[in-house]
Amino acid sequence: MAAENSIVQARGLRKSFGTTEAVRGIDFDVKAGECFGFLGPNGAGKTTTMRMIGCVSPSTSGSLQVFGLDTQKSGRKIKQRLGVVPQEANLDEELPVEENLTVYARFFNIPSSVALDRAKQLLEFMELTEKRSARVSELSGGMRRRLLISRAMMNNPDLMILDEPTTGLDPQARHLVWDKLFELKRRGVTQIVTTHYMDEAEQLCNRLAIMDQGQIVENDTPQNLVQKHIGREVLEIRVSEKEKSHILSLNTELIKDHDSYRDLLILYSDDADQLLEVIKNTTINTDYTIVRRSGLEDVFLKLTGRRLNE
Amino acid sequence: MNPLKPFSFSPRQAFRVWQREVSVYKYVYKSTIVSNLMDPLIYLMALGFGLGAYVNRMQGLPYIQFIAPGLISSSIMTAATFETTINTFVRIHFDRVYEAMMATPVTVEDVVVGEMMWAVTRSTIYATVMLCVVTALGLTRSWYAIFVPFMGVLGGWMFATLGLTYTSQLKSIDQVNFYFTLFITPLFLFSGVFYPIDNLPQIVRMIAFLSPLYHLVEVIRPLVLGRLEFGVLIHLAWITGFVLIFTALPVNLLRKRLVK
Repeated sequence: MAAENSIVQARGLRKSFGTTEAVRGIDFDVKAGECFGFLGPNGAGKTTTMRMIGCVSPSTSGSLQVFGLDTQKSGRKIKQRLGVVPQEANLDEELPVEENLTVYARFFNIPSSVALDRAKQLLEFMELTEKRSARVSELSGGMRRRLLISRAMMNNPDLMILDEPTTGLDPQARHLVWDKLFELKRRGVTQIVTTHYMDEAEQLCNRLAIMDQGQIVENDTPQNLVQKHIGREVLEIRVSEKEKSHILSLNTELIKDHDSYRDLLILYSDDADQLLEVIKNTTINTDYTIVRRSGLEDVFLKLTGRRLNE
Repeated sequence: MNPLKPFSFSPRQAFRVWQREVSVYKYVYKSTIVSNLMDPLIYLMALGFGLGAYVNRMQGLPYIQFIAPGLISSSIMTAATFETTINTFVRIHFDRVYEAMMATPVTVEDVVVGEMMWAVTRSTIYATVMLCVVTALGLTRSWYAIFVPFMGVLGGWMFATLGLTYTSQLKSIDQVNFYFTLFITPLFLFSGVFYPIDNLPQIVRMIAFLSPLYHLVEVIRPLVLGRLEFGVLIHLAWITGFVLIFTALPVNLLRKRLVK
């Protein structure tokens, strides 16, 4: 049985495609009413995990329960209560906007009069009412994404899974989507989101699982992740290899941790200004330095590495 | 994926898939029905009137009357074939319609069966419209012709099974052409649509016996012309046997293709 309040529970979940292991034994819980995020570089296994939760891809081993039901056995029952927003739009291009929603509602066996009412409300909510008779091909990228989210809400889902909900949108459209997702969270709809945008993860997610190469490397609230791995501030300084070791050998509590990439030394600290003063008191050249607040991106790069994985 | 995993099929959900196709068809039928029916009608006119002026009689009939039931049969084949090759490929790979459906309480089995039902529907519509045209031209000789739409169902089912099986193996849309040039066109020309094959060499007749279109023609022509004999039952049995044996094949192959 799933733990109380657990909407999704994964234990030792694995997925292989032939000899490639896309997901290598992950454990996580998603609780009712929260927004849970999967953050990770491309190819980390986020989408594969989402497809398993959505009961469209069978797992290779381990257990995965949604609403306390086994995804391998009760796909139909689970999907009846899910709202799925895919990464790329798969709307019905031949159908007008409103009919995209009502036709989709039939797959959930929602009576047509109910579906029509709900479609009208959702188009209103997503600010698409003016476009209800337009063809999908006439919509902008942001409108398509909002229509996809509306469509995923036609069955009043208990859990929404959104795969990169704002990838490819301009800033205005992103903020509108975030606003709507936040509103949904306030209404108590549990959400699972994948993203590789740090600001999105910080905006939307109560808890985050950082994925890399098919594994969850960390799983906590965004604030705790930053506090635990980085501290409050960051000092970036461009120095020679010799100077690097000099700085790291300084006997100071101010350096919580560090990271290094080519000539860039990244120092994590709770007081970067004071740390900079300490370094200035040595002979090290401090012309190229930046002091800034820490963020999720620092955690992400620290945990998943600075090199391209592709 | 375990090949022995039992089918998860719901008639109601397959019906929902069919309904979706009907909804889309309401927006596109005007542009498709004319172009799809022009093809057999042009053959009927060009060969029936044109070649018919030189061909005296075929099996004791005016040539146009001989080929009309054959062209009704071939329109059943093309309707189901277009639907389950090009259209299905587009739904899988370009419009990703199946992906959207399978995110709902619809399984891959429901999708494939629903698509077959839809291909059958289109075949039946075309068979019926073609029959009306042929009848309006005064080429129908028997009330048995009212069973032609039923053969639209059975023939459409047969060609939908074949089309979906082929599409399940496709890598790119260009490969659809092979199906038409290497399979559909030869069937069209060598299955008794334009000339009887009874008098051809034994080897040709044996090959024709393997042609699904040949058996469809040999049922529809007697129905339209009122020449029912015992042999019709053999052809009917061939078609029925074909769909009973092979329907599960594309369901299985598409499940392998779509569920990963």
